[in-house]
Amino acid sequence: MRGAALTTASFVLTAAVVGHAYYQKKQFYPSVVYITKSNPSMAVLYIQAFVFVILMGKLVKKVFFGQLRASEMEHLIERSWYAVTETCLAFTVFRDDFSPKFVAMFTLLLFLKCFHWLAEDRVDYMERSPVISVLFHLRVLTLLLFLGTLDSLWVNFAYHSTLTKGATVQLVFGFEYAILFTIICSVLLKYVLHTIDLQSENPWENKAVYMLYTDLIMGFIKVFLYTAFVAIMIKIHTFPLFAIRPMYLTMRSFKKAVNDIIMSRRAIRNMNTLYPDATPEELASMDNVCIICREDMNTACKKLPCNHIFHTSCLRSWFQRQQTCPTCRMDVLRASVRQIQQPPAQQPQQPQQPQANNMPQPGQAMPPFPGYPFGSHPFSREQDSPMLPLEVLLLHQGSRNLPLLEVTSNSPRHRLLKSHRQRHLLLSTSKSFNFSSRDYDRAIYNYHRCTAGCTRYSTKCNAWDAWNASHATIYDASSFSNDATIWFTQVTHLA
Amino acid sequence: MSGPEGTCFEGGVFPAKIIFPTDYPLTPPKMKFTCEMFHPNIYSDGRVCISILHAPGDDPMGYESSAERWSPVQSVEKILLSVVSMLAEPNAESGANVDASKMWRDERELFNRRAKEIVKKSLGLDKTDTS
Repeated sequence: MRGAALTTASFVLTAAVVGHAYYQKKQFYPSVVYITKSNPSMAVLYIQAFVFVILMGKLVKKVFFGQLRASEMEHLIERSWYAVTETCLAFTVFRDDFSPKFVAMFTLLLFLKCFHWLAEDRVDYMERSPVISVLFHLRVLTLLLFLGTLDSLWVNFAYHSTLTKGATVQLVFGFEYAILFTIICSVLLKYVLHTIDLQSENPWENKAVYMLYTDLIMGFIKVFLYTAFVAIMIKIHTFPLFAIRPMYLTMRSFKKAVNDIIMSRRAIRNMNTLYPDATPEELASMDNVCIICREDMNTACKKLPCNHIFHTSCLRSWFQRQQTCPTCRMDVLRASVRQIQQPPAQQPQQPQQPQANNMPQPGQAMPPFPGYPFGSHPFSREQDSPMLPLEVLLLHQGSRNLPLLEVTSNSPRHRLLKSHRQRHLLLSTSKSFNFSSRDYDRAIYNYHRCTAGCTRYSTKCNAWDAWNASHATIYDASSFSNDATIWFTQVTHLA
Repeated sequence: MSGPEGTCFEGGVFPAKIIFPTDYPLTPPKMKFTCEMFHPNIYSDGRVCISILHAPGDDPMGYESSAERWSPVQSVEKILLSVVSMLAEPNAESGANVDASKMWRDERELFNRRAKEIVKKSLGLDKTDTS
């Protein structure tokens, strides 16, 4: 509404200015001269040009995107503010070349950047949207073609201008458009990957890998471009302050891409080489449903060091995103390092520890605490810290319909008190299992008391090493109300 | 989803949509209330902001530990449970709706009244129970 009013106002003003000039001078040429000589008229015309740019943007948006989603709008506004700030910073570097043409070129750059971001968001959205129409494909393809052509034209223009006239502000435009061109390339690659994925009936397992590599390569090119740009700018002008933020962001995302690839490769390699295949007995002893795909596990299953079993293919897809156990969030990379480093140290303790996959059955008494199989201690550096990490998480094993209480310890102890939400979650489930909030509070209280005393204890006994383990064990909530309090009390006595 | 008993959202029936990505359960679904909501952890457009619906990589608020994030173990039931508990106990520290967070923290009475209005609206508009 306000936009429409402003647009109308600017049109009326322009009409008034032009009308006034023509009324005064009666002829075309003198009126043009009159307008260009008069500063207020020029101001009005500049505003009009700006309004035209916005209208143009709206038109292009309508043609290529239709209605923008709320998140796209939010992204766009957030990024535009940064871009505007950086453009203003760039003006300070090139204050000598400052002219309307120069401003117009920066505006155009900003304008095109907006559409690059929108294209990026739109293609990312492909993965999540249920139906992709033909119109969508048509729009994305023409948009990418259009933007790609513009970018390459500008790069070409900037290159020739730099060759003939030496390094001017065109250098900045050249680099900016080159960066935009890499964005277009990566969007296109992602679009192709998404399209292939959508065409096939089954989920495409290797897509995540290709996505990672796309990010890696594009990240590398961008980092290279930015570094070259900054180096050249320092050499001929001054330090390009306006390029710092994007450069930092690019480097960070490149580092993340490299990291992701290395980590996921390592996790998958570990899975293939180190982790044992689950034996049929192990599968039979627990309910053999893979928690990732919720289907039965018969063959091709792997057991992680934390004794959780999944399908190999499900694990592979998960490791491409995260290198933790889906159930207990144990860091598999850290765990395998530990396995390799300290096998002899673990061996002598094994006999006194019952097997970890002997999970207590509902109603069955808990095993005595000392030496209870918590695995080895991964956080030896935290051993003497007074802040024993601990957190109570409620895990729900959907197939069995029994809420399981898992005690994991990988965040500072005080978080426990802070995480009201989890507490509530626990309470809300506990209602249906006759597990009163008082039981819970008592357990937590005891748990707390024992953690307070843990520092003295940790140096003496293995039991506290167990507390330090990233993954403690899983208890059945139905037996928790009786046994866990006893268990916690035992722990307190030990402490 | 019905508002939890004993809270200011008690009695309300709030329709919501859960949108699952194609690679679910490897990436979290999104949940969005399709009715008007006024709550510190719900964006004004209805999107729900809770840590278990966030993928471990991105951290929009910059404070969540990875232990609270999405993992394939989470089920739809648990998401709903978390959202119910979120309705009962808003987390004002990570406000998705800043106005609501502020009101919840400073002017609880006003917030409760506002929530009651939302409840009434939800009953008047849509009676389908999605939870």
